[in-house]
Amino acid sequence: MSDTTATIVDDNCATVVHATQDDDTLLVEADDLARATGWTLKPEGLCRDDICVPVRDRGALVRDHHIDLRAFAVALGRPLALEPGAALAVLAEGSDGVGAQLASLTAPPFTLPDLDDNPVALADFAGRKRLLIAWASW
Amino acid sequence: MWQELYEELGPHGLVPIAVALDEDLDAVKQWARDEPPVPLTYPVVVDRDHVVAERYGIVNIPTTVWIDEHDRVVRPPSIAPADDKFRDFTQIDSSVHHAALRSWVLDGVAPLTDDEIRGRQIPPEPEVQLARAERRLAVHLLRAGDREAGERHLTAAMTLAPNDWTIRRGSMPIRGEDPFGQAFFDFYQEWEAAGRPGYGA
Repeated sequence: MSDTTATIVDDNCATVVHATQDDDTLLVEADDLARATGWTLKPEGLCRDDICVPVRDRGALVRDHHIDLRAFAVALGRPLALEPGAALAVLAEGSDGVGAQLASLTAPPFTLPDLDDNPVALADFAGRKRLLIAWASW
Repeated sequence: MWQELYEELGPHGLVPIAVALDEDLDAVKQWARDEPPVPLTYPVVVDRDHVVAERYGIVNIPTTVWIDEHDRVVRPPSIAPADDKFRDFTQIDSSVHHAALRSWVLDGVAPLTDDEIRGRQIPPEPEVQLARAERRLAVHLLRAGDREAGERHLTAAMTLAPNDWTIRRGSMPIRGEDPFGQAFFDFYQEWEAAGRPGYGA
């Protein structure tokens, strides 16, 4: 086990946290994890805003007063890609969450850089008909 | 063709936004500034982390999504070639999309009912969402110069989502492979044998 900092990328937003590498997982301070993901451990489970997800195996989730990142992802049903040696973790949206978002027919917001690195948001053109054209050089 | 459609339909309220699923900014700039007969005048954004691909469920290109004035998706991700240059491959008549687009913009004709939209959506399998996380981790590692770990996670992503072009073919330039070379032809045969999944107008 070694103390270090790690980067958690959640919903494409990167946050640097205090963490401890432990074999193939990272143990993250609870306050830092809340800052990175919005989820807080409470007696009723993992909570964000008005939603609480019950935690079946609290012993696997909490170790040495830290939260095991792999157990955290399992508890929330979210995919996690993790490279412990590089102290880098990426959380993606769960497939159920994406499916519900798609079925809502609400266009998800995004902000991305243009070719001059200026941010362009879908919302910049709110109130107009928009045609997204996904393409690539490949 | 997209530029021509913009010049025709932009005055009637349509805003095209091109989203490049590319890691290499220079490749995008070359396409957007040099290749077309005229410079593009509609927004072009670069999605190196495939944020739009994940949020909208896009698995291939060229794909369009139609969004109305009230932020509702009225036509879900569908393959929409700009023209018929690759019609033998795409098996799609590009004019069908463009005619429907004109009806929507000029006459307010909704292309699909809500149930039809939901019926056409392809909600991601759990493996595909994990593949997207693995791909995003891989490009972060590669940008930081961690070649070994980056390649390993990219391979994991490609194994998890073998039919997702944004991951399979989109990874070829990142891995130093020619996206028009042997690696692509191997992938293409595999994908065609699987019934061209995720490819529909």
